[in-house]
Amino acid sequence: MAMIETQDVKKSYPSGEGLMEILHGVSLSIPAGHCAFIVGPSGSGKSTLLHLIGAMDQPTSGRVIIDGADLTTMSEAQKDIFRRDKIGIIFQAFNLVGNLTAIENVLVPFLPRGITPELRDRATEMLKKVGLGHRLTHRPNKMSGGEQQRVAIARALVKHPQVVLADEPTGQLDSHTGEEIFRILRNLQHESGTTLVVVTHDRRFIQPGDLVLEIEDGLLKH
Amino acid sequence: MFRFAWLNLLSRPVRTILALVGLSIPVLGVVGLLSLSNGLRGLVGDTVKLVQGVMLLRTNTPSPIFSDIDPKLVSEIRAIPGIKHVAPEFWRVAPPVENTSTVLRSLTAGSSEKRLANFLETPVVLGMDIAEHNRLDSAVYQRALIKPPSVGGRFLEDRDKGLNRVVISKKFAEQYANKDGSPKKPGDKIRIGSDEFEIIGIYETASLLLDVVLVMDIGTARRLLKAPDDALSALYVEMNDPGENDRISKIIEDRWDEIDSRGMNEVEASFGDIMGEIDVLLMMAVGLAFGVGAIGIANTMIMSIMERVPEIGVLRTNGWSSRQVLSLITLESLILGAISGLVGCALAVAACWTANLYLTDGIRLIPTPAIIVRGMALALLTGILAGSYPAWRASRWSPMEAIRYDP
Repeated sequence: MAMIETQDVKKSYPSGEGLMEILHGVSLSIPAGHCAFIVGPSGSGKSTLLHLIGAMDQPTSGRVIIDGADLTTMSEAQKDIFRRDKIGIIFQAFNLVGNLTAIENVLVPFLPRGITPELRDRATEMLKKVGLGHRLTHRPNKMSGGEQQRVAIARALVKHPQVVLADEPTGQLDSHTGEEIFRILRNLQHESGTTLVVVTHDRRFIQPGDLVLEIEDGLLKH
Repeated sequence: MFRFAWLNLLSRPVRTILALVGLSIPVLGVVGLLSLSNGLRGLVGDTVKLVQGVMLLRTNTPSPIFSDIDPKLVSEIRAIPGIKHVAPEFWRVAPPVENTSTVLRSLTAGSSEKRLANFLETPVVLGMDIAEHNRLDSAVYQRALIKPPSVGGRFLEDRDKGLNRVVISKKFAEQYANKDGSPKKPGDKIRIGSDEFEIIGIYETASLLLDVVLVMDIGTARRLLKAPDDALSALYVEMNDPGENDRISKIIEDRWDEIDSRGMNEVEASFGDIMGEIDVLLMMAVGLAFGVGAIGIANTMIMSIMERVPEIGVLRTNGWSSRQVLSLITLESLILGAISGLVGCALAVAACWTANLYLTDGIRLIPTPAIIVRGMALALLTGILAGSYPAWRASRWSPMEAIRYDP
């Protein structure tokens, strides 16, 4: 069964000369529990597609269906809840909150509802799994890039999401650290059974059995 | 959430402190001014409690020192059923006491506060019909006489009629002290205008407005102030039943257009109205200061969120709703408002306490809990209002707009 499905998804942005279409009608299907790579050159629309899958943006036309739920018909409030409960996201620039410690960053999705001891234990456990058990109370400015990205991975996975989206997760890391990050990501994905979608232009991390979706000029290549 | 908001404020300490100072000052102002207003109200209230009868004055005169009434009214009013005593009084601003005029005292005072105090302490002559006043149940000055052995002395009696004898306040006894610095006491002399008076008693009402009166026989006062022999300023009237004050006052006012009957409740209410108007003016001035404080907080919050747009994007991509972002920013401005309120109120209470050490003669700055609550409420409201636009703006960004924002 497909965890992620897009049907003829188009996305345009306003530009100086009118509308600029980034995606020209993308249809794809990613089975649950799989690891999928969206690859392609810069500006091909792969990050845009990832953001649509993560309910962070709205397609101009077409449908995005996650676990049977059509995101294009959801209200903003429903999409907020969807992102909160079902999507974990990892950015290239780590995007941690500078004022918060590592464990507080992991708990960011839960801050508005209050942090219970159970949630704190879960966050601690997740940080230990990514090898940061000794850095719980450190702030991002005291951590290396690789450590910050590991905090971001822990934040994405702490809520046991159905889908983890990673947008160039190794883009700002050296190759050794990048390999480490992918090793952690794959281990956690394997352990949790979540569906992992990675946008990258670096094909070194693709393994046999991974689903590779190649996108070029806003269209999926088959 | 609270900790997060608090950490966000701490991350830019200088800016946060400037915003706090900007709002603390108007809070200090509003609490201080309301405390002063409250102190003045209390002062008048204390004075009014001492006076249980009604005072008949000429209509539209603010004070008995400006009033004159027809002496023939005394017998007609005395004949009204329900009236127990009618005590004629003659009031005027006193001539220079101990050769020092009020104007001179005010001008030569060292500070503006002292000049104001001297103005409020302008000596006033009250010439009273001794026999009638001694029959009153609520005679203010008789009751306020300091009894022996503390000071000694006595109040005016029939034998003092026409003589240069005076009862003065303890305050004046100290202010117009003897050459050796000792306060005046019964038996000492005091010069009022060109005449020398014997002090026969010392009183103390503890009211700023009452402790400025030089009490003497009505005939002596008329002579001192070169007024006609039958000149009258006011009639102090007591009813058989004080509960009848309002009803009989109305009868008097209906019968004599030129007479205004002032019950002390009315005086207090009138003063309250005046103070209310002064309060409005003060609040308008403080309102401007609050406006500046609000702009400071709004500026702080706008700068803060513009620097944190991608961070707000992170929150939104992690499932924070726009309402939760709005709550976070509003909470930050609310915390700023709350701390400003606490600091402003604490400074105001300290300032009132310090001022009370130096203020004398009855005026007190009284920062009541109600005033503190009002100051806090204004600070919180200003914090919320000032933070509402930045909060609304932050909540409107879509997750991707925010995360892609390049500050």
